[in-house]
Amino acid sequence: MREHSVLVVDDEPIVRESIRDWLTEAGYPVATAETGEEALELVATRDFSVLVVDLRLPGKTGIKVLEAVKAERPWIRTIVITAYPSAETVQEARRLGAVDYLLKPFAPDNLERLIDETLSSIPPEATVTTVEAPEAAPVAVVEAIEVKQSFVIGNGDLRALFDGLAETMDVIGVVARNGKYVYDKVKRFEDLRLDYDTTVHPPTRFLFPARERMLAVSFDGTPSAEATIEAKPQVLLGVHPYDIHAIELLDEVFMATHADPNYITRRQNTLIIGVDCLRPSPNAFAPSMGTAQADTGFDLLLTDLGTGYMTRVGSQRGADLLAEHTDAREPNDNEIASQKALLELAAQKVEVRLNVARERLPKLLEDHYDDSYWEEKSEACLSCGSCVMVCPTCFCFDVKDEVALNLKTGERIRTWDGCMLTDFAVVAGGENFRHDKASRYRHRIFRKGKYVLERYGMVGCVGCGRCATACLPDIASPAEAFNAIAEKAKIETARRLIGKVAPDNELYQPKPAKLLRVDDLAENEKVFEFQFEDGSTLGHAPGQFVSVSIFGIGEAPISISSSPTRGDTFQLAVRNVGNVTRAMHKLQAGATVGIRGPFGNGFPIDTLEWKDLLLIAGGIGLFPLRSLIQHVIDHRDSFGRVIILYGTRSPDQRMFLEELEAWKANAGIEFHETVDRGDDDWKGNVGVITTLIPGIDLSPAKTMSVVVGPPIVYRFVVGELKKKGLADEQIIMSLERRMKCGVGKCGHCQINGIYACQEGPVFTLADLRNLREAV
Amino acid sequence: MKPKVAFFDFTCCEGCQLDTLNIEGQDLVDLLAAIDIVEFREIHTGNADHYDIAFVEGSISRESGIERVKDIRGRSDLLIALGACAHIGGLNCLKNHLDMDEALEIVYGEDKKYYDTIPARPVSAVVPVDFFVPGCPINTAELLRIVKDVLLGKTPELPNYPVCVECKMAGNVCVFEQGKTCLGPVIRGGCNAICISAGRHCWGCRGLVDDPNIDSQKDVLAKYGLSVEQVVEKFKIYNTYSEVAK
Repeated sequence: MREHSVLVVDDEPIVRESIRDWLTEAGYPVATAETGEEALELVATRDFSVLVVDLRLPGKTGIKVLEAVKAERPWIRTIVITAYPSAETVQEARRLGAVDYLLKPFAPDNLERLIDETLSSIPPEATVTTVEAPEAAPVAVVEAIEVKQSFVIGNGDLRALFDGLAETMDVIGVVARNGKYVYDKVKRFEDLRLDYDTTVHPPTRFLFPARERMLAVSFDGTPSAEATIEAKPQVLLGVHPYDIHAIELLDEVFMATHADPNYITRRQNTLIIGVDCLRPSPNAFAPSMGTAQADTGFDLLLTDLGTGYMTRVGSQRGADLLAEHTDAREPNDNEIASQKALLELAAQKVEVRLNVARERLPKLLEDHYDDSYWEEKSEACLSCGSCVMVCPTCFCFDVKDEVALNLKTGERIRTWDGCMLTDFAVVAGGENFRHDKASRYRHRIFRKGKYVLERYGMVGCVGCGRCATACLPDIASPAEAFNAIAEKAKIETARRLIGKVAPDNELYQPKPAKLLRVDDLAENEKVFEFQFEDGSTLGHAPGQFVSVSIFGIGEAPISISSSPTRGDTFQLAVRNVGNVTRAMHKLQAGATVGIRGPFGNGFPIDTLEWKDLLLIAGGIGLFPLRSLIQHVIDHRDSFGRVIILYGTRSPDQRMFLEELEAWKANAGIEFHETVDRGDDDWKGNVGVITTLIPGIDLSPAKTMSVVVGPPIVYRFVVGELKKKGLADEQIIMSLERRMKCGVGKCGHCQINGIYACQEGPVFTLADLRNLREAV
Repeated sequence: MKPKVAFFDFTCCEGCQLDTLNIEGQDLVDLLAAIDIVEFREIHTGNADHYDIAFVEGSISRESGIERVKDIRGRSDLLIALGACAHIGGLNCLKNHLDMDEALEIVYGEDKKYYDTIPARPVSAVVPVDFFVPGCPINTAELLRIVKDVLLGKTPELPNYPVCVECKMAGNVCVFEQGKTCLGPVIRGGCNAICISAGRHCWGCRGLVDDPNIDSQKDVLAKYGLSVEQVVEKFKIYNTYSEVAK
């Protein structure tokens, strides 16, 4: 951990959380606030070295926050972030002591570098330490018992701890019953079992009970409802690490968003004392799910060394308990070695293993959604729900009203429910959205291996093996399903290798196209018109691109400049900028080139239809955008207003002059043009393209904007469009990336997880918000 | 106007009516405030021409019963089958695999000439039944819920999940895990797994869930050591009338 801490203030969760994650990863302690008010509260109670604050906040603005911080905590360095820079606000921020500002969107590296630089200028003594002061710790036998440290306690200590806890709360622990183990209220220390293999039911039922009252309702006279929460202080004593992981998942589900008051109250009243599992159940596979050990999620975690308990402290409350009830001492080297050996031995005893890395599960399952496995395997399913009822990571529930016999009052009751039960997805009309056993069975396995992980970022199955034990037809084990699907994938791959897949012989083989004519556009730009020699048409959509081969020189991706509505030929407008384009520029009519494609997604015509269009081209961004403009002109009745903005550096950079004149003269098009620098002959607008936008009167609700240009254009145009009230979904861009293969394999065009040649090059700004590499 | 409610019995032990009479305390006060009991042989002699709700206990196992239940149906707005015998035929149907004459002989010996009998059947096999209160005996909490639903204008619904769900909620160790067998996985829940919680197993008194996977359940029972005959015997106790025991 670095010593300087950072407070991030932004009302947009995505920005706030992204920055928090970047900086946390970079090693900074980070706190976040959603509003100016919240930020100032934090600043008043804790010390921060750096404040990263959005200027545009609801309520107290960023500038107000800066003012207050400058007055009260002048040593805090501030960095402002904004998506809407203006000279005034930047000056104002500087006057209030902001050391720098960042334009949204920005890359993590930039922010981290800026913070590093900012901090390097702070003398260490200027910042007070930021560790939250714990409550005064009670006198401890070991001088100071600290979180994250391990100690050793004896059996007598454990009993003292048990008795101490039992005085003030319910002690929920594992006891033997019917030859198995179950969690229950434990009255006597002698009944407590810490050497169990696994329990029939998970401990999560004490945080999320099978049945609980959510509301007390009254419908006598004016209907009313009152929230009801029942929670007693309790300690879950002897929780295995896989169940600790499950509880952490439930915490995420119930507390991270739409904070569930019933769960939270119970959770806040619950201490968790874990114990390492040294005797895994025959159906368990926790090591494969990464849940055999826990680093967080407990107050104390014990390992039974035989001679005593190695005890890891996970929280201040845990530290206090040890100090108060035990004679905890530092472990010796033998004990440390013994613990390690015991845990390794336990891992070796696990009989069930995943034959595939768990990180691969989501993709593997997705690829086998339609596999026959689900049908075959679920044939024996009793739809009895036992698998979901004993699952520590299952949390689905039903809500029902129950009334008193007076028919005037009642209760709204929450009970467990589960996706494996026949009627889980039935609606009042009788439709069952998961009507067959196979779809229910698949859904559960997908939740365990894919959906939960993707939604909550934590594994949906902790490998406890309880479902496999509870399932009478023996079909419930997620490990078995995961392994079966992995095996199928392996067999499919093997089949592919033995050549059952028909090759696409034209994938890399360019098709000959004849150059019909070449026209100069500007000093370095020409437009080429091609036709395939076999007479076929390209069959492209506006916004797609092709790969042009000049044999001996190479292949380059070029966007298509003409609309498919303009006949069987296609036009490529090309700037002379590299080897292939230089060679193209030397070609004469009659020459043959190789063409592959069309590739990419193109502009989303379906979404654009019937809308007002604001089409913005900066420089040679006109090349791809022209294909759309032509399409729109040829289907003029399918669109609302059509506004075209075109900006170039200088008048001599303007291209397709005849078409520009035609657009200007077209009564169905509002055409506006500007140049960055005029010349003696230029009579039109002068200024960057963003200057055209404020003057345009738009109906934001029905406008779609398509922007194509160099990155600098995107950055500033987007800001102006946002000011006009356009949502991220209404702003469409075409991105340039290095493309080689065009078929989603070579990897050059990858932007985070996606391939620009497949899912792009056309994206909405909303798409790009999740792609941090994009701009 | 309080709804007029009547109770009738056919071939049964009258245990479900007895359990109804075991409702006590505030529940009883509230119940009597909400309904008018106009006919109930176990508690009084009154009768009426028309019933808003008629509860019928017992299965139909005599020719005369057919006429009588049709008459009750004709005079009732709602007819609710009370208990396993009325709901699914129940224990009475155990005689159905015998010749009826043989059955009379076994029970009454030479006095059989005074009696007549037909294969036992649930009430719904003779007249339309609006709702069912399952169980042997019924769960009075469930009976009260159904009464409340009717009074509130809600359609009473029975759980369509098996006994396992409430058994797991109750925190029991599965009967199969204890090395014994149980019909719970295909039998309709709603009983809070009362038998398993009391250390026994599920006998199937609440009938099957809507879409039971009988083949798989039979495989499971066989896997846990039951012969085909034993499996069938298990199902027969309460569910002879359904197809599963055949």
